[in-house]
Amino acid sequence: MRWLKFLPIAGAISIALGLGACATAPNASDAGAIADYRETNDPLEPTNRVFYAINNGLDTVLLRPLAVAYRYAVPQVIRTHAHDVLANLDSPVLLANDMMQGKPRRAGDTLMRFLVNSTVGVAGIFDVATDLGWPAHDTDFGVTLALWGLPSGPFLFLPVLGPTNPRDATGFGVDIALDPLTYVGKGTVVTALDYTRFGLSAIDQRAAVLDELDRIKEGALDPYATFRSLARQHRESEIQDTRDDDRATVPAWFARPAPATSTRTAPR
Amino acid sequence: MVRPSRARNLDPDGAAMTTLPATSKAATMLLTEPPAPVGALSRRALLAACGATAFLAFTFGGLACASAQGTDAASVFVDQTGRALIAAVNGNGSTAQKKQALQAIIDRDVDVADIARFCLGRFWRVATPQQQQQYTALFHEVLVNNITGKVGEYKGVTFALSRSAPRGSDTAVSTIVTRPGNAPSRVDWLVVNGAGSPKIADVIAEGTSLRLTQRDDYSAFLARNNNDIQALIEAMRRQMAQPS
Repeated sequence: MRWLKFLPIAGAISIALGLGACATAPNASDAGAIADYRETNDPLEPTNRVFYAINNGLDTVLLRPLAVAYRYAVPQVIRTHAHDVLANLDSPVLLANDMMQGKPRRAGDTLMRFLVNSTVGVAGIFDVATDLGWPAHDTDFGVTLALWGLPSGPFLFLPVLGPTNPRDATGFGVDIALDPLTYVGKGTVVTALDYTRFGLSAIDQRAAVLDELDRIKEGALDPYATFRSLARQHRESEIQDTRDDDRATVPAWFARPAPATSTRTAPR
Repeated sequence: MVRPSRARNLDPDGAAMTTLPATSKAATMLLTEPPAPVGALSRRALLAACGATAFLAFTFGGLACASAQGTDAASVFVDQTGRALIAAVNGNGSTAQKKQALQAIIDRDVDVADIARFCLGRFWRVATPQQQQQYTALFHEVLVNNITGKVGEYKGVTFALSRSAPRGSDTAVSTIVTRPGNAPSRVDWLVVNGAGSPKIADVIAEGTSLRLTQRDDYSAFLARNNNDIQALIEAMRRQMAQPS
């Protein structure tokens, strides 16, 4: 029943694309306005703003209070370990993406993290691997598609998913299909656990950005435009960081040192 | 659903271009300079061209040296400013005193006027001198308010200098900032070598540029308010009047 929770997203995508309330392009004589319009790349802006308003309303009455309560009621230590458990559950998807991106060092990090943290770290409760030299990173199929050369497409704001674009929304769907846990069993317990994981990770992620989001909403004259800008910049830097991560895969104990002139710049 | 030709405008080099408008514009201007008529290409002109090339190479070589020194100076500058900021935040004065100390650092080390001009984008040239003045003064207030508003949150913050690299005529200095209870995050500082002393022109936190985000906010606001700069000034004034 996991797919159930993606109904609203699928619905939103089809509404957003179907209704097609398009932003009116500015007057052709105003070169500056045209340049802004192109740069913003948000042809569905009116529809997107509606979904932003809906999402913002849901956040105000539901997710934000939950996140505040979570941060208030649960001590930092437990929140950290809860986050580690959730992150460990994402490892298989992460590994698949690392491999598809052609990033062997990252794939190695993910694999070792999963093996070590699931065993020594007791089902991911303790993040032992970071201290052992396998640092955490994050990625998804949207990044994989970007590294394969697929452009992002226009900006989209979708319910639940928030600020995104056709490429990343597709990536989100593929990541669910890649998750082995998507295919695990049936029954009340599994379903309950599934929803717990989904709900908890939503609260965990929301709690992590509590102060930041409050401050952005407070300080922005146009919060929607500010989130659009931030989401896009952050995504692009995430993709660039992944592209630039060309650490050597030679283990530290291997006698031959890596050549000193390995300051190769990643192809753009 | 995905139209590559149009989407490519933004992805991902497009954004990089928007952060460096001055240099890219200069480059385009150089390139679109009308070429000399073919007949004029005499031997003397050719010689002169060769001389010019040699001169250019020499100058650029010199510039490259200068900017290598510049990156070191910029690192030292960011280190000093960062220490000053942290000392101000972690000092044991009252909140009002801390805000005063922070304001002094901002006034000394941040190129507020330049950031303000950048954030207004193409509307800067449209604004009347009086509007420019009002806007810059308000922008200064907003910026100081945004930074001093975080005094409480930034207790116990530490930072470490990372690499620095020239970016156009400026220098980008990377730091790793650690807040207690948070994962370390990468913060880049764009340092311009203006008249005399270096100044901070932008802060890029986890890939998001402060001034670019602010400019997008203002330009979206202006687009929804008939491009009326007075409306923006009024909105900023209202924002400042709110108790926070």
